[in-house]
Amino acid sequence: MQTLSLYLYLVRLQLRTRLQYRANLLIGWVAQAFGYASVYGTIWIIASRFERLGGWVWPEIALMLGFHVLGYALGALFTFVQLRGMEELVRLGTYDTLMVRPVSPWAFLAFSGINIEYGGHIALGVGMIAWALPQLGIDWSVLTVAQLVASLISAALLTGATLTIIAAMALVLTRSRYLFGIYFDFWELSRYPLTIFALPLQLTLLSIVPLGYMAYVPVAALLGKPVPLIGAAAPFAAILAGPVMVVVAMLVWQACQRRYQGAGG
Amino acid sequence: MPPIIETEGATKWFAQKVPQSGFTGRLRNFLKPVTRDVKAVDGISFAIEAGEAVGYLGPNGAGKSTMIKMLTGVLVPTAGSVRVLGRVPHEERIVNARDIGVVFGQRSQLWWDLPLFESFELHRRIYRIEKGRFDRARAELVDMLQIAPFLERPVRQLSLGQRMRGEIAMTLLHDPKILFLDEPTIGLDVVAKDVVRKLISRVNRERGTTIMLTTHDLRDIEEICPRLIMVDDGKLLFDGPLTNLNASFGARRKLTLEFASEPATVMLAGAEPAGGEGVIRTFLMSDDRRSLVDIIAALKSDAELVDVHLHEPDIEEVIRTYYQSRQRQAAPSKRTG
Repeated sequence: MQTLSLYLYLVRLQLRTRLQYRANLLIGWVAQAFGYASVYGTIWIIASRFERLGGWVWPEIALMLGFHVLGYALGALFTFVQLRGMEELVRLGTYDTLMVRPVSPWAFLAFSGINIEYGGHIALGVGMIAWALPQLGIDWSVLTVAQLVASLISAALLTGATLTIIAAMALVLTRSRYLFGIYFDFWELSRYPLTIFALPLQLTLLSIVPLGYMAYVPVAALLGKPVPLIGAAAPFAAILAGPVMVVVAMLVWQACQRRYQGAGG
Repeated sequence: MPPIIETEGATKWFAQKVPQSGFTGRLRNFLKPVTRDVKAVDGISFAIEAGEAVGYLGPNGAGKSTMIKMLTGVLVPTAGSVRVLGRVPHEERIVNARDIGVVFGQRSQLWWDLPLFESFELHRRIYRIEKGRFDRARAELVDMLQIAPFLERPVRQLSLGQRMRGEIAMTLLHDPKILFLDEPTIGLDVVAKDVVRKLISRVNRERGTTIMLTTHDLRDIEEICPRLIMVDDGKLLFDGPLTNLNASFGARRKLTLEFASEPATVMLAGAEPAGGEGVIRTFLMSDDRRSLVDIIAALKSDAELVDVHLHEPDIEEVIRTYYQSRQRQAAPSKRTG
């Protein structure tokens, strides 16, 4: 209970700090909106021109894009900006100051750096899902609603866990920023139906870099579309991918923390 | 009572990458980097009792911060053992953290954009300090460290000296049994350094908090710590009262005598002539405990003595001389090796 109260207090402090720079926040939101609008516009043009993209029509793709950005934002809210600077935290010794306090350094970073700039992403994701869903004739039941929510949580966990694993590398290698670059290369690919890619890339996105479970697998499972390589296991895989990655991330973080060398000394 | 801090052959090696040149070297660097072990702390043993104030001194790269990081649970020792309050710090990091306080001179633990008191409130929640106890501790520390004038100012607007006082006050809020300070006066101006030193010394005297501070500024140690641990190149050089340092390092007092006319003979028992010309003669004293009166009483000279000057070597001089002699010893072996 005291731990939860601490984390909520950290979030409150961070919000107050961020709101001191309202203009920055607003500019950030507008810049992000333009960025996403241009990418989604391109995908919309391609989908409209060719009618289908990997067997998917525009409303299906829009649902996937909405799911992708919402799942990502919910996970990145607690992780991306905080962990992106992990190598600086290590290099400048800031991480040491977290280690000498009676808290989990990861949790402290996650909650004290909560990034409300993702408010724009969340609004965009919810908006696109709300626009796309009524056009897709999904046979709604308690089970499909539960599947949608659970796979969305799984996508958020998958994002948080993957970014955590990358950041943990900085504890050992003192460098991790380039790995974030590689992550976003795959992240961009995971916005498209996996069926447009060749088999090796499909296999990569469903195993080593499991970003296929961010949006493609859960939305395909919801729409009843065939999923390569995992077939009927798709709905379960979509729900389990996130929690499994969380366990992996915890183990990696602990192992890296034990090998932590600090910087200087 | 067992020591509050105890290390037994504490050792920390860091794996350092050895850069490889050429394309294949760079590729090998990426795939299977060649590393060499660098000993930052090399088999150091000491014990500190509750209530002591100990200075941990050494030049840059001597392994001072590495030792603090092992004692606070940040780093895992490669070999040997480290115990703080009877615990192995890295195995019980969180429990250990509740009983200690750590101040880093070069890294702030305060919330940059918010007023100082907000960081205190956050500290209360992190350390789960009961409200009544926190209010009492806060009032006492605000008074002791004289931080009331800037308690409500955002940390980013504070001077370095004010910020350091804020850091120390915050770190003491949960009444830690041990206060570790890593270079607490680094970057401060002369006045701020003096204020911080006096405060740390007061904390040790009045609250009974065990102090261990690393520094490369000898004045910190002279003013705060009766006991000195000196390290270089990861190894322990000296551990004992500051007053024993001169004897341990063979530093001697220098006596300068001025005569009315040039003396033909000057004999001074227990002193070694160390130059001088004209009416001036200089001696190095071999026994540090002899009083000046005794020394002068033993003087035998054919000229009249008009003035005496006794130069006490300060610890800075002692240590500088020692490090310089070490460098001189190391230099030829590097050339031949």
